[in-house]
Amino acid sequence: MRTPVKKLVTAIGTSIAVMGAGQAAAEIEIGIAGPMTGPVAQYGDMQFSGARMAIEQINADGGVMGEKLVGVEYDDVCDPKQAVTVANNMVNDGVRFVVGHLCSSSTQPASDIYEDEGILMVTPASTSPAITERGYELVFRTIGLDSMQGPVAGNYLASLNPERVAVIHDKQQYGEGIATAVRDTLKDKGVEIAMFEGITAGSKDFSSLVSKLKQADVDYVYYGGYHPELGLILRQARQAELDAIFMGPEGVGNKDINTIAGEAAEGLLVTLPPAFDQKEANQELVEAFEAKGEDPSGPFVLTSYTAVQLIAEGIEKAESTDPFEVAEALRNGTFETPIGTVEYNEAGDMKSFEFVVYEWHSDGSKTPVN
Amino acid sequence: MSEASLYFIQQLVNGLTIGSTYALIAIGYTMVYGIIGMINFAHGEIYMIGAYTALIAITGLATLGVSWLPLILIVALVCAVIVSSAMGWAVERAAYRPVRGRHRLIPLISAIGMSIFLQNYVHLAQGSRNIGFPLMIQGGFDFGGDDTFRGSISYMQMTIFVTTLICMTALSLFISRSRIGRACRAVSQDLGMANLLGIDTNRIIAATFVIGAALAAVAGLLLGMYYGSIDPLFGFIAGLKAFTAAVLGGIGSIPGAMLGGLILGVSESMTSGYISGAYKDVVSFGLLILILLFKPTGLLGKPEVEKI
Repeated sequence: MRTPVKKLVTAIGTSIAVMGAGQAAAEIEIGIAGPMTGPVAQYGDMQFSGARMAIEQINADGGVMGEKLVGVEYDDVCDPKQAVTVANNMVNDGVRFVVGHLCSSSTQPASDIYEDEGILMVTPASTSPAITERGYELVFRTIGLDSMQGPVAGNYLASLNPERVAVIHDKQQYGEGIATAVRDTLKDKGVEIAMFEGITAGSKDFSSLVSKLKQADVDYVYYGGYHPELGLILRQARQAELDAIFMGPEGVGNKDINTIAGEAAEGLLVTLPPAFDQKEANQELVEAFEAKGEDPSGPFVLTSYTAVQLIAEGIEKAESTDPFEVAEALRNGTFETPIGTVEYNEAGDMKSFEFVVYEWHSDGSKTPVN
Repeated sequence: MSEASLYFIQQLVNGLTIGSTYALIAIGYTMVYGIIGMINFAHGEIYMIGAYTALIAITGLATLGVSWLPLILIVALVCAVIVSSAMGWAVERAAYRPVRGRHRLIPLISAIGMSIFLQNYVHLAQGSRNIGFPLMIQGGFDFGGDDTFRGSISYMQMTIFVTTLICMTALSLFISRSRIGRACRAVSQDLGMANLLGIDTNRIIAATFVIGAALAAVAGLLLGMYYGSIDPLFGFIAGLKAFTAAVLGGIGSIPGAMLGGLILGVSESMTSGYISGAYKDVVSFGLLILILLFKPTGLLGKPEVEKI
């Protein structure tokens, strides 16, 4: 990535800026942390491509307060242990603004370190409510919460008048959180929950689960988790001729589920952030992505772009690179971004964010259903 | 038949299917342990490499325009067996033979290192994402039930049973009848003595690794097709389960590995069928601890004097 010499120059530059001796040659480092490898690396690709584009465009427009933004990329493999290592590396490298992490279970432990060390973090993808429940000052997100996504999914399922619904999750923070929200919404609506149970993330054989679903005679199955497991469940369910309709959160909505499930992915229901790349106002940006040969349609591309933009605008508004002052500016401001108008509450959550239900197709495309 | 008993049979079928593949992989652990008393932790990776090789062969044939299913399966099987066997042989030659006879922890660490090496090698060579296996054997037949619940066995499950049965029978015949099989038994009883009596023990040990790897490759192809997708970590959990099966049945004993695999598979499917999938591993490993408490050598293991 960067040569030691360049790192040294940056370090000197940063220390000069910190001392207040002068800001002319300084760069502002933005740490981008997400999975470059591992089972959910395709989401990481979305995140890195969105953030890189924002940095490039902001620099082309003259940077932030006359300084260039520099993206420093870290791989957390969507593994909580690795995320902590990454967070410590950021501290050592003197990074003061972070776009990341992606998986809620990584963001949670990493944000403890950022908060302690005075680093501002904007996660473009982590939807677990617990992340912003701790009263942290420096934690923000450009995505909604499971507590918003769950009810959208639950209400949609309830509107289909199902007889019996099974709710399955992968026992992880993200999956179980969202599955619980869906179950509670369904219960409130008087829908019968035939089963609510966890599976082990990483396991491959779901034949017993599928037989159990068949016996329970459910017509809808909600799965809280990521695509590697749901893909296998779909495929094995199709082979065992289970004719229930499956639904999942945005963690299952990417083209890799088609690789795993094949034809069985047809008709899967997914809650996703709205397709920001379809918005009229973003067409110029979409073309910029396409010119680079990148796909802006992933759910986290433009949220990552927005995360970088918010950090940049926060710095300009605060007229300071002090993360606490930038956080203050973000809480008090209103920002026009590719994902719409962003306003923050005290916790660091966006005041409004909507999820949309899509029907997934076996060729990897999707159509909105509500 | 009542629905409850159909459901029970269905879960039994699911458990036996997965259990028979555990047994196939477990053979590799148990044979190596029986002969040189070490645990080959890289065995799960050999199985994963078998699955990858099979997938590469299938994709290759598809690009060549071959569409006759039996031919594709046979070629994939042969390729997987050859590559995995070569890998098993190479691993033994490179990582275990040089340290054989030293303190018993040294080959163990060498095996763990080999496992990490192979996993990362495949990560780099093939990428870390899931790769899909094409759906090749579809459909199944119903063995009873009505509209509310139908018990069914898929043709894929039957393929797994039949293939495993053939492999196990062939292995048993090979061990009991062939010259190398006899030598294997001799070496497992007393390596030093077998050596004195003119058996090339290095060759027999290498053969053990090759046989174990070949069976793991068969399991790799079968499970790749059954699950429908593979990734470089595919071997790790399967290896762990198979190792558990080997210990459960009595490590060092071939019938023990078969029995252990089936028990583990059935206990997993029954747990997720009647309690909850979340407790699957809790129950299987709890069972292992219980059996080892009352029978430390495993179900069919012989008490041994000095071998770890």
